[in-house]
Amino acid sequence: MKILGISAHYHDSAAALVVDGVPVAAVQEERLSRRKNDAGFPLNAVEWCLDHAKLDPGDLDAVVFYERSMLKFARILTCTLRAFPQSWRSFPHAMKNSLGEKVWVRGLIASHLGVDRRKILFTGHHEAHAAAAFLASPSRRAAILTADGVGEWATLTAGTGARGEKTTISLLREVRFPHSLGMLYSTFTAYLGFAVNEDEYKVMGLAAYGRPTMVDQVRKVIRRTPDGAFAIVPEYFEYQTTAARSYSSSFVDLFGPPRPSYEPIDVATAEGRRFADIAASVQRVLEDTLVDIARALQQETKLPDLCFGGGVALNGLANARILAESGFERVFVPPAPGDAGCALGAALYADRVYFNNPDRDIPDHPFWGPAVDAAHLARAAREDDQHVDELDDAALVERVADHLAANRIVGWMDGASEYGPRALGHRSLLAAPHAIAMRDRLNRDVKHREEFRPFAPVVTAEAADRYFELPAGGARLARFMSGVFPVRPEWRTKLAAVTHVDGSARVQVLERSMAPRLHALLEAYGRRSGIPVLLNTSFNVAGEPIVNTALEGYSTFRRCGIDALVAGPAIVTKRATASAKREHVA
Amino acid sequence: MAAVPRSAPLDRLLRPLHKWVWSDHDRRVRKLLIFGDVETDGGRDILRASEVTPDPLLRRLYLEHAIDELHHGVLFRERGEALLRQRALREGGFFSGNPLPGGHGLDDLVVEDQGDPRLLAFLHIAEKTAAGRFAIYKDCVDDDPATRAIFEEVLRDEVFHMNYSYQQLGRLTPERQRHHVWRARGRRLWNRYVRVAAAIAGLIGDTLLTGMYFILLPPFAWAARRAERRETPGWRAIPPDRPASPTSQY
Repeated sequence: MKILGISAHYHDSAAALVVDGVPVAAVQEERLSRRKNDAGFPLNAVEWCLDHAKLDPGDLDAVVFYERSMLKFARILTCTLRAFPQSWRSFPHAMKNSLGEKVWVRGLIASHLGVDRRKILFTGHHEAHAAAAFLASPSRRAAILTADGVGEWATLTAGTGARGEKTTISLLREVRFPHSLGMLYSTFTAYLGFAVNEDEYKVMGLAAYGRPTMVDQVRKVIRRTPDGAFAIVPEYFEYQTTAARSYSSSFVDLFGPPRPSYEPIDVATAEGRRFADIAASVQRVLEDTLVDIARALQQETKLPDLCFGGGVALNGLANARILAESGFERVFVPPAPGDAGCALGAALYADRVYFNNPDRDIPDHPFWGPAVDAAHLARAAREDDQHVDELDDAALVERVADHLAANRIVGWMDGASEYGPRALGHRSLLAAPHAIAMRDRLNRDVKHREEFRPFAPVVTAEAADRYFELPAGGARLARFMSGVFPVRPEWRTKLAAVTHVDGSARVQVLERSMAPRLHALLEAYGRRSGIPVLLNTSFNVAGEPIVNTALEGYSTFRRCGIDALVAGPAIVTKRATASAKREHVA
Repeated sequence: MAAVPRSAPLDRLLRPLHKWVWSDHDRRVRKLLIFGDVETDGGRDILRASEVTPDPLLRRLYLEHAIDELHHGVLFRERGEALLRQRALREGGFFSGNPLPGGHGLDDLVVEDQGDPRLLAFLHIAEKTAAGRFAIYKDCVDDDPATRAIFEEVLRDEVFHMNYSYQQLGRLTPERQRHHVWRARGRRLWNRYVRVAAAIAGLIGDTLLTGMYFILLPPFAWAARRAERRETPGWRAIPPDRPASPTSQY
């Protein structure tokens, strides 16, 4: 069967194609439209998926949308009614927003793709999260936990999944909007002056600079319920009544004035420390709550594996604590746990649950996107009078390792792009991980981002335990950079560029089979430096999506401080070129 | 520096209004921050153009143009933020918004659909308009040398952008250069009309929906609140038979 999954309309829209039970293509719309967090209907992504598989829309057996749009609209309308008359300002916007396009999903898909309306199916939002987490994992039976801002009504679900003769995904219970861990974290993200649905990881990074001194205050705004769940205290929040602001005046009374987004954060000042302490406090409460819920789920199901999906599963600190403290032996977080991953989840759910197709193992990697074309890079670079070499794999790896050992920053594009927000070795910026100066240089000359944010390391699976304190199951969690673990104290000064202020790192543990060229590069670099670890950050500039094509990589390379660029066998090293302005004038 | 184009007649007519807008701290900050976003968005669109054009010279020119625009975005944003740090904005205010059309963003330009001649004509018109307008703004901020210096720098670049786009258009399609420029003017006019029409339609829609809200919704709001009171927070069991039909949107 050929099933197309689609997620769209809120943030990070995407499309994924499953053929005979196995993904063949999946890509976020932002990578193709070049608009960060593109939430529009993912027409580019759909077209690319179909082209890649050489299919026409008419060849599809089903198109599956990742949530039940009318049910979501019912929730929005109900919340507006509950907030009457305070919701009068947000009502027109909410109605226009929903009724303009979002509720007419069936018609939208039918008109864009020209498919029979009877082929258009729907899954629940959290069912799609659950399927993305469970069906793409190697586990045969697992507990399932999903947590995000909100889907239709659910914000967090718990259940189990089993693969075999008949695949089942049974979500047993849920917490409903407005009680939401994702919204709680997003509210603090907004309060701390960051962009909601985009900068939540900055709160996590900032938390390391603070102490959780305001946990009691955070527990005032979210309390635990006797049944082990949680409930937000509505007087502190406004997200349930208006889209204008997510926290209330009572919230500001409790935590103090919010940080204006234009003020830089300086953790050396009292105000900067206050914000860091607040970040540390909400992070602590989030972790404690998730650990308790996961522990209860483990005790109930007695299963060794947990599959964790939803946007909250991007919180690597929480994931590491769940692994360490909940009783689960292994925790699986997919490479795209957020809404983008729901496109794949919805397609897999339909394949296994709606159509009862036999279970199939899913290749355990995130590389489902468009492949890079080295010829494009070589041509463009030569036309620009840049230095280009085309080498075989072994020579290229040695050349790149030389560049890295000489403290050069390398843009690394290899094969198909990653599905999900993390650069896991196919669209990465690589650099030596040793000196703080490298971190500062990357922040200043390439990424243009805040100083307090850490960079992540990538290490070969064979050497990971030597440099990082990985608990049992830690390497698995680190496969897709989903956990934050301590750097061993004796290595922290030699891995200073990738060690966060609290001694931790969001490490990627790389097995040779997942990205053989990067693995070979790590080994080659290890032969030069003695440490097979590299700094690995996403290949983009702040505010832009990760690069997709060779020419996008090239334009990024040309306008920031990247020293060398690799795509397939081609390697470009930067040299000053004549200004096009002068050439034009001439 | 090449000659700065004359401002559009409408802008010259509106010079007192521009002066009034820039005379207020809050409006100045808002304008600068909006310009920051517009320039950055425009820069990214032109960056996209550099990635899709088959013409090597245009690729380099677009790239430099994009770098300029992204740099302008940073200049405007940093200046706006610096002014904000000096004094925060007042809350609300009837005229706190932006009553004038500003910037020269590329809106929802889909670069891939344009083709170089159309894009160059569009850029030429957009940059020419922006240069004329920035020349007025520069004079409106005489009291603020730092902001004025930014406008001067941006203006220099805009004049280059305006000229290169016109000359390259001539190189690509010498016989249809003026035709493309006129078509770009027409499209720009049409887009303005669509924007104004959409704004008016939005206003009418808001008014009708707000009326409905207060006239039709109160009984439903009462029922929704009553139902809410019966809900208890915490876990809610999901009935095993809940999964609806795969074709249901409910």
